[in-house]
Amino acid sequence: MTGIDAILQGGLQGYLMVAFLLFALGLATVLLRRTLLLQFMGVELMLNAANVALLAFARFRGGDAQAMVFYLFIIAVAACEAAVGLALVIGLYRHRDTTDSDRAASLKQ
Amino acid sequence: MFITFALITLLGALGMLLQKNVIMAGLCMVAAFFGVAGLFVLLANPVAAALQIIVYTGAILVLVLFVIMMLNSHEEEKAQAPHPIQRWASVVFVSALAFGAVKLVLGSSGVKSLAASGEAMPQAMTLQKLGFALFADHLLGFEVAGLLLLAAMIGAVALTKRNL
Repeated sequence: MTGIDAILQGGLQGYLMVAFLLFALGLATVLLRRTLLLQFMGVELMLNAANVALLAFARFRGGDAQAMVFYLFIIAVAACEAAVGLALVIGLYRHRDTTDSDRAASLKQ
Repeated sequence: MFITFALITLLGALGMLLQKNVIMAGLCMVAAFFGVAGLFVLLANPVAAALQIIVYTGAILVLVLFVIMMLNSHEEEKAQAPHPIQRWASVVFVSALAFGAVKLVLGSSGVKSLAASGEAMPQAMTLQKLGFALFADHLLGFEVAGLLLLAAMIGAVALTKRNL
């Protein structure tokens, strides 16, 4: 399988393409939207894109179990990030009454 | 099959980017995560697919939706100042990045040879294989990950408590 056929039929290139596009969409969400919660969701999307690329490479290297271990660690870090990040959003909402990242541009109260 | 799940993933992510309502954006993200889980099944990795659904759609997204409803701000607030230059610059930057990455993947001979040599479907990942790899080689990392989760939990409680 080569070229466009590999992308459509689910070759390695197809999975990598999905991972890149997912990463680009996550990055665009972080850059274009102003709501902190949506920016946070964009970060989660980028983490997922990395996971897709990692497990695609693992499958084409004969089902490597090490990649699965790394995937587990990435998920653990993503869960930590979700808990702390959402707590920070709630803290900001309490202090400033907003979830707009543009309105949180200064460190002063 | 692959193209179906890829389209579910990418359309979910695109819906999240374009959706005005934050709750609808969260639901679009659920679609994207389910698409990614489907891709993991196609990659002979049902363990990762199950974990994806349990952790991302089960835990992280429920947390996000809880916070959205708690904060009571479902629509994006009006912009304080227009940022047309930054927005266009970011669009150009992201599309250039995506284009470059796509071109790199299609032109790479290493990726091509890896795709050809690993085309045969490997044995499906099982919890047994994962357990051997995790507890034989990465025991310290596993313990550190547990500690990190505990620290994050305490940190989240400390940050949301009103007067500590």
